[in-house]
Formats: sequence, C-alpha cells, structure tokens
Amino acid sequence: MIFGLMAFSAQAGDVEYGRHLSSECAACHGAAKSDSAIPNIYGLGEAHLADVLKAYRAKALPNEAMQNIAGRLRDDDIAALAAYFATAKKPK
Amino acid sequence: MAQGKPRVVIIGGGPGGGTAARYIANESKGAIDVTLIEPLKTFTTCFFSNLYVGGFRDYKSLTHNYDKVKKGGVKVVHSLATSIDRDKKQVVLAGGGKVPYDRLLVAPGIDIKFDSVPGYSEQAAEVMPHAWKPGAQTQLLVKKLNALKDGDQIVMIAPPNPFRCPPGPYERVSMFAHVLKKKGHTKSRIVILDPKPTFSKQGVFTEGWEKHYPGMIEWQDPKIHGGIKGVDAKTGEVKTDFTNYKPALVNVIPAQHAGKIARDAGLTNQTGYCPIDAASMKSTVDPNIFVVGDASIAGEMPKSAFSANSQAKVAAMVIRAELTQSRAFPARYANTCWSLIAPDDNIKVGASYEPVDGVIKASNAFVSQRNESADLRKQNYKESVDWYNGISADIFG
Repeated sequence: MIFGLMAFSAQAGDVEYGRHLSSECAACHGAAKSDSAIPNIYGLGEAHLADVLKAYRAKALPNEAMQNIAGRLRDDDIAALAAYFATAKKPK
Repeated sequence: MAQGKPRVVIIGGGPGGGTAARYIANESKGAIDVTLIEPLKTFTTCFFSNLYVGGFRDYKSLTHNYDKVKKGGVKVVHSLATSIDRDKKQVVLAGGGKVPYDRLLVAPGIDIKFDSVPGYSEQAAEVMPHAWKPGAQTQLLVKKLNALKDGDQIVMIAPPNPFRCPPGPYERVSMFAHVLKKKGHTKSRIVILDPKPTFSKQGVFTEGWEKHYPGMIEWQDPKIHGGIKGVDAKTGEVKTDFTNYKPALVNVIPAQHAGKIARDAGLTNQTGYCPIDAASMKSTVDPNIFVVGDASIAGEMPKSAFSANSQAKVAAMVIRAELTQSRAFPARYANTCWSLIAPDDNIKVGASYEPVDGVIKASNAFVSQRNESADLRKQNYKESVDWYNGISADIFG
C-alpha cells in the first residue's frame, strides 16, 4: 500500500480534526477534577474555549505550558478543538 | 497484508507502548487487532519516582495495572518479547510463542550501560543502586536513603547525554536533600559527579539548592572532578581524578541505550538508539516498525514520559492511516517536564516540536526562571500532580 502524509488544511470547526488535536490536551487534562490546577475542558462551551486558547496564544493569559501549546495553533486548529471539546466526554 | 483484521503488535507497556495500544484500539473501533506485550502485570512509573524518594508519594500510587487497557480492546500478553523476526514479521516470546504483525511498535525504553562506569555492574547495582528503571532498584535506593545517619555523605554519578529524563538526576538530588533536611541531618553532604559541563534547568535548580539546602549540595563538572575513574562496590569507594570518596550512599546513573530487543533487532545505529522518521516515528531501517519513547532518536525532544506519550499518538495515527485509510494529519509533538526542588517549589521546562527537514525540532521553548514567586512554583507543583493523573489515565486508562 502507498501512503504519504499530506499537508492537510482543515475546515473551521472540523470535529474529527479537533479530536485528533485533542490527544495533545488529554495528557494533562484527561483526569481533571473540579479542584484541579489543570482544569477540565471536556464539555466546555465552544466560544469560550476558542477565546481562552486565543488568549493563551497571545500570551494574554499566564502559564507557559499553555502558551507553548496554544502558540502554534492556527485559527482553524482552535476552531476544530473548540468544536470537538464542546461535545466531548472526558476519557474513561 | 494478511487476511482478516490488520494486526498491530506493541512491545513494551510503558508510556509509549501503553499510549499507542490504547489510541490504536480506541480510535480504530475494533478494525485493528491490537496486542500489547509486556512482561510485568503491574507497571510502576519512573516518572514521579523521585517524589517517592522524597516521601511525597508512596510506591503504590505510582503503580498501575492493565485492566483498563484490556477493557479498551487491547490484548495484553504478559510475556517477555525476546526477539523480532523482521523477515517473517513476528515477535518471538520467551516461551517460544510467536505473535505475527502487520505493524510493530517497539517501546522498550532504555537499558543501563553498566560498563560505562568502571567497576559498575548489575551486581554492583545491588549495593550502589542506579534506580533509573522503576521497581526494586527505586525501593533499594529509598531504603538506603532512609537508613542514613547525620553526617553521612551521598555521592551521585550523573549520566552523560543522551539519557532518560534530563532533569531527573537533579530533581533526585533535591529529594535526597529534602529527606536529609527533614531529618535534621545538617552535617550530611551530597556530591554530584557529572560527566557533563551543564545540565537541565541548571540555573533554577542551583538557585533552589542555595535557598532550601544551603551548603548541602556540591555539583562537580569535569573541570572540578577531573574525570570519574570508577566505583568499587566491595569497598564502597568512588574515585575521581582528584579525590577518593567513601560515601554511605552511592547512586550511580550510568550511560544508557535502547532496550535490548531493539538493539538485537538491528533497529539501533551507532548511538545505541533507534533512528526514526521525524514525521511518523517510523523506524528508518524497517517500514513495518515504529519506535517511540526513550529508545528512539527523537531529535530535540528529551527522553521523557511526556515525549513518549506524544510520540505514541503520532505513531498510532500513522499506523491507523496505513492500515485502515483513516485520516492522517501532520505530526506535532509536545513535552513539559516538571521537577520538584522542595515542598511546593516546582520548576518546569517544555516546548512544542515538529519535523523540520527530517529532524524533530523545538519551538516555543520555555523554562522556569530565577526569582519566580512562591505562588507560581506552588501552582507548578499542583499542575505536575494533575499531569501525573492525566498522563497515567492516558497511558493505562
């Protein structure tokens, strides 16, 4: 079989792409509880999460780890993540 | 490809292998047959083992089983994979059993190069633990640490690059110092004999040591010790070019290389680690094999559980795309490493990573700075605990 990784340009709010990108978030957020320093983001409102990610990207919110993660997200990455997390359930 | 479902076999049930197994099984929804080969029934994490050394965690809290991995649709075979028959595309088990694969993911972690420190050996490690692989070695180190009396000396021999967990030796020394301080052992001293001229997060570690443990920790680079001549497990001595030490506790962290099975299968190069394609974590010597985690040469990524977990997700995505034509996306990796210096004083380092001209390169790198507020350091610590829970759930369910 022939396979190549092709440059991929996602549509805004592409949930499948968001699910793919979300695996990076799961490493820290996957077991978050209500009193966690790392907050739960599963089920977070779409517009809210997009705003927060853009604020981290702009370094308008503190936390270098999140500024790093958000730093390389394009607008369509953020839209995809926000669309995915809006309906995603925390991993079991 | 063989008849029936495509078969993915994974060697090693740690951060790399566990993550890959779960992501392939979960995301392929039963379309791929996933087998994880791991000899241990429970896995104690190397990450956070320094917090066990420091008394912040108990051993049990670092130990995980594979029940949820199995529930997630992964066949877990508790056996030792002894060799890889790359021509026949099968893994040979200790009992002689054979497990065929369409794609193999190898995540054996590191092996200790005992002979990289003259006089050191597997037997010597029973007296002078390395504790750089999780399990009995870590417990031995803690036992010896807790038996120390005031005035006793600790000598750590730090490893040369590249090695598992770059800030790990220095976090461990911080935990040694914390235990000594807590016991009121004001006369005890810790000497680090380092073959490297610099180390990870050096500025903030050094600042933290001066603040919390003034005068207790002495770090020696090669210019100071003149060369590490070796150890003698019988006499308990450690020799450098300039000094003979006879400490009460010796922690030898030797050089490392990829786990034996990867070396035996010809997946390593002259560095002792496995070259991979930066965009997929695929071995550059065998298109049916992927290598993730500490055994791989992942460019600028450090050897860490976070890195292994991140690499495993890229490999899992590519493997699924190859076997089931699922969508593939450009590879992206990330890493953050937290280190505890003293209670509520935690520092971190991290970066994003992407393939650039065939090599995994870092961007957006950050590291904790000197003179940060106590609140920020405390927040880092809380974050690290949440990360432990998050990544453990990601790996083991």
